[in-house]
Amino acid sequence: MAPMGSKWALIRPFFLILLLHSLAIYLFTRGFLLTRTELSAYSRCSDLSHSPCSPVHNSSSHDDGRCWTKPAVDRLVIIILDALRFDFLAPSSFFADAKPWMDKLRVLQKLASGEGSSARIFKAIADPPTTSLQRLKGLTTGGLPTFIDVGNSFGAPAIVEDNLIYQLNKNGKRVLMMGDDTWLQLFPDHFNKSYPYPSFDVKDLDTVDNGVMEHLLPSLYKDDWDVLIAHFLGVDHAGHIFGVDSTPMIQKLEQYNSILEKVVDVLKSQSGPSRPHENSFLLVMGDHGQTLNGDHGGGTPEEVETSLFAMSFRSPPASSLSILDMNSCKLDLDGEKICISTIQQLDFAATVAALLGIPIPFGSIGRVNPELYALSAPTWDGQKMGTNNCKSRSNLEAWMQNYANTLCLNCWQVKRFIDLYSATSVIGLPSEDLHHVAELYAQAQTSWSNTKTSACLSENGISNEAQDSSASILQLQINAYSNFLESVAKLARSAWTEFDLILMATGIGFMLVSLSIHLFAIGRANIACRSYYAVSGISAFPFSLFTAFLLVIIRAASFLSNSYILMEGRVANFLLATTGILNLRCSVRNGKFSKDEFFFLLINIIIRYGIEFGMSKQTVGSTSLNTQSLNILGIYEGHPLWMMLLEMLPVIMLSLLAILLYKCTLGISCWRYLKYLLITGTIVSYMLISVHWVLESKLIALSMVIQDIGRNLAPRIVYAVGLGLLISSVLSRILGQKDRNLNSIASLTISTISMLSSWSPAILILLGRQGPFVGLICIIGAWCIIRSKNEEQINSKSGTSGGFVISPIHVTQWNLLAVCLFFYSGHWCTFDGLRYGAAFIGFDHFNIIRQGILLAIDTFGVSHIVPILSLPFLVTLHSQNSEENKAKGIVFVKLTQVFLIYGLITSVTTMFAIICVTIHRRHLMVWGLFAPKYVFDALSLLLTDVLICLASLYYY
Amino acid sequence: MGKIQISASKAFALHFLCTAALAAGYCLARDVYALSLVSDPAQTLRLLLLFEGPVVVGIYSWVRRDPDCCSYLKAVGRGLLGLPIGASINAFGAIVLGAPVGIKYLTKTIYWSFLMSLFTFVPAACVFGKSRADWQHILAHSKPMEVVDYMISLPAHGAVIGAWLGAWPMPLDWERPWQEWPICVTYGSVAGYLVGMLASSVFILVLRRQDPVKVD
Repeated sequence: MAPMGSKWALIRPFFLILLLHSLAIYLFTRGFLLTRTELSAYSRCSDLSHSPCSPVHNSSSHDDGRCWTKPAVDRLVIIILDALRFDFLAPSSFFADAKPWMDKLRVLQKLASGEGSSARIFKAIADPPTTSLQRLKGLTTGGLPTFIDVGNSFGAPAIVEDNLIYQLNKNGKRVLMMGDDTWLQLFPDHFNKSYPYPSFDVKDLDTVDNGVMEHLLPSLYKDDWDVLIAHFLGVDHAGHIFGVDSTPMIQKLEQYNSILEKVVDVLKSQSGPSRPHENSFLLVMGDHGQTLNGDHGGGTPEEVETSLFAMSFRSPPASSLSILDMNSCKLDLDGEKICISTIQQLDFAATVAALLGIPIPFGSIGRVNPELYALSAPTWDGQKMGTNNCKSRSNLEAWMQNYANTLCLNCWQVKRFIDLYSATSVIGLPSEDLHHVAELYAQAQTSWSNTKTSACLSENGISNEAQDSSASILQLQINAYSNFLESVAKLARSAWTEFDLILMATGIGFMLVSLSIHLFAIGRANIACRSYYAVSGISAFPFSLFTAFLLVIIRAASFLSNSYILMEGRVANFLLATTGILNLRCSVRNGKFSKDEFFFLLINIIIRYGIEFGMSKQTVGSTSLNTQSLNILGIYEGHPLWMMLLEMLPVIMLSLLAILLYKCTLGISCWRYLKYLLITGTIVSYMLISVHWVLESKLIALSMVIQDIGRNLAPRIVYAVGLGLLISSVLSRILGQKDRNLNSIASLTISTISMLSSWSPAILILLGRQGPFVGLICIIGAWCIIRSKNEEQINSKSGTSGGFVISPIHVTQWNLLAVCLFFYSGHWCTFDGLRYGAAFIGFDHFNIIRQGILLAIDTFGVSHIVPILSLPFLVTLHSQNSEENKAKGIVFVKLTQVFLIYGLITSVTTMFAIICVTIHRRHLMVWGLFAPKYVFDALSLLLTDVLICLASLYYY
Repeated sequence: MGKIQISASKAFALHFLCTAALAAGYCLARDVYALSLVSDPAQTLRLLLLFEGPVVVGIYSWVRRDPDCCSYLKAVGRGLLGLPIGASINAFGAIVLGAPVGIKYLTKTIYWSFLMSLFTFVPAACVFGKSRADWQHILAHSKPMEVVDYMISLPAHGAVIGAWLGAWPMPLDWERPWQEWPICVTYGSVAGYLVGMLASSVFILVLRRQDPVKVD
């Protein structure tokens, strides 16, 4: 084989596989993680002239400052209590048994109870995904944010779609915001005034809430705002950390009760005629619910059901309309009747827009909710109803007329959106459904023009029957509109919350094709290997191949159950330990009990405890590593000596690592410059890392400047050194290509070492204090795997087992070790499992690219980057010991084989994750567990492929 | 050679005795003491141990490999010595594979590992003593197997594989009491042991058909 030709022949399959995998993942993701095209169109006041609804009073409309609808309220107070479960607000009499966290918001319950109250409690039903960002987006745009946005939770991008806040801003409403700073990320420059507080720290129950409390009550007395948004985070954080049934949660709810009491008092006291809150409206609502463990994100009833409390402070009091009551009423604790209605969160944007008289956001597909809209119904007595000179109509009828009018606008706006969306979006909506919806709309509109005329005709005849009939006609009209809006919502839900099975199946098909190509490539590499060894026809199915195959299949099949996905680290560890025990048995059988096998099992025990520790963090919530490990040791914070020891231990470990690395690098005989560069670079960066840790630990009191240097400058230098080393090792590899052929194995080892040592500082500092432990475990584990390989190779005299030069079981072990390290280093496959703190090591401010890269290095560093880049060790360290350096090309053929097997293992597991996510797409936990798992697996598959491609370019 | 040649019928009888001891222990626990493995695993395991232990040690010492230079009592002693050694090896293996450690599980783990030792290590200790070649041979299946080899090797492997498989349901969220350590692992290992004995009986039958002269 010609050297250059063979090189490309070896590399080509990697790129082909990368291409196929990307295609498969792209197609499957398109079908599974639903996407929605965001339209850039905005609703405007002047659009009203295009609408078929009450076109006549258009001319007069601009005079009295009204836009689309007549404003029903002047000022709006929205208090958002994050993760407010439905049973936090609803009286306990609505549930089978009373739980300790119920009936804590008594103020609101009392206000909502009794006849003729101007307040009401709603069960608000959110659409999954129930994460705060998605919900805020859904609430303000009136659309259905899809799961693909969940990834944006980290560094929420500004909403570019039309939304409530934009409309408020455009129509001269002044918006005051306080609380969760996610709002500011979503709407960077829409607020007149804002008091944002960081939502990042889940452990912190009070900062945001105290900040909001500080500003909320004083602001209520001022009149420099029209809409006030106060977002409390305490309940969400308390749920995440302590769970629902906990004292902090109940304390939080009681605290909210007293705040809300004060808020209501202020609003009431200021609600007289010509007072600031003459016609104010209060909304207290949750953005989503939470499970008893405090989780949310999925589509279970607990997560989806949140509550909404609405109260009108209109003076004179709004005429209470008991129309359209489809709510359930029960007696509350005081024996008063209390009714609860239901509202879709989808309808929120449209309803609020209608209440405030601003245009409904362009992308909204919600319906103006009658019950919420009716709460602030003004008394229409003595008012002129636009063109209809209709006198002495009953309140109810007048309201219905107004509501029908509003719905007409609402429907027109939704229809306009649907038309534009299906015309411009890439994927569009199914045409037969569109046709059906269009028909419904046409029906409703024709009957609307009839209604208007008939209504006006009936105005003249004042007979009671005529009034009744006009009321029923209006009711029919409202039903027709509601019917249209409901079917649009259904269509939208099916398009944006349902799956495209054909795309998903195509994705799986491509995955299967790529798997067969993988197998074919491995077969070809085996044939190439055999040509070097000149061993003909080994047909025996070797035990190790069978074991490796079995282990990979077991691990892959374990993804079919949600419990095994939760326990993935344990499963991987179990299988890794199984391989260790099999190896031990093997070596005992051959009469030489090797220490390495035993060490490997000990490492397994350590990894196991690390994973268990990580999982306890997962359930408890992220608490700092320091205190936890202290508690495990049975030592509590405060003992200075222990603290000192604990701070010093990582540094000691780090120096141990540095010594190890130094010894490795000393062995390099050629490439003098690179060698010194590597040694100095890594040692300098390791020293900087320890400086960073020591300064961060606050053990030594130092001035702010030095503290700042340690906190921010040191990590940045470390990243820079790492990058410099990476570039120099790549350069030296390219420049040193001439003398490479002299000793390919040695040069391969050197490049691997230089690659690893240039990655190590960044990965170590990002992992934090556990970094050196993880690094040591990684090295020892890898060493044991490499050593155990030698044993087996010596035993099988031919040197090949089933055509594999490298026993597949070692690659499997390598892969399992990588998986274990992922969990050992405190990660798990959900988005809150990302160690966001790591992204801010060395930087205080957020930048999506910079922090994204750091987060990616932290997440995949020790589980993907290091294991894949160090795969050549499996080839070189073996070949150094046995004398097989006859043919130079053989090393690269072997390396290809190793890379191929490693890639195959990853793609088989990902394949199963994809299949499992397809099977479980209607599962309760699909958004909470399976979809994140799929995202992580798909990402890691692509990363593995890319890394293998890059590594093959670099090493070959 | 001086080895005790055991006929197939004897081998069956030995297997039957082992099974009978297990069954007796189980029945006694269930019917007399009203214990079940699920509700009180430690006591049940102890009873099983008390029944199975003497039977296994007694039987396998009788079929010891070197009857000339090793008395019956010595073989029994070897078996008793092998019991804690095998138990610690089994416990170590279990912990490596993820068995929980803690005061709460201590007694259960100890009893379980003794039982596993009886299934795996003790028979071999009784029969082979410290003959290294025999130990290796039983792991490697290299030489042509004899009746005793099958009798030791297959049930032991069965018990280990059964225990390994028995650990699988443990992480599932079915919230059944038997998912606790070491209940389902014990079920698995006992089932594997029984299957192993069945397999060994079948192999012995096959062996006799192939080589009828040697056995008789």
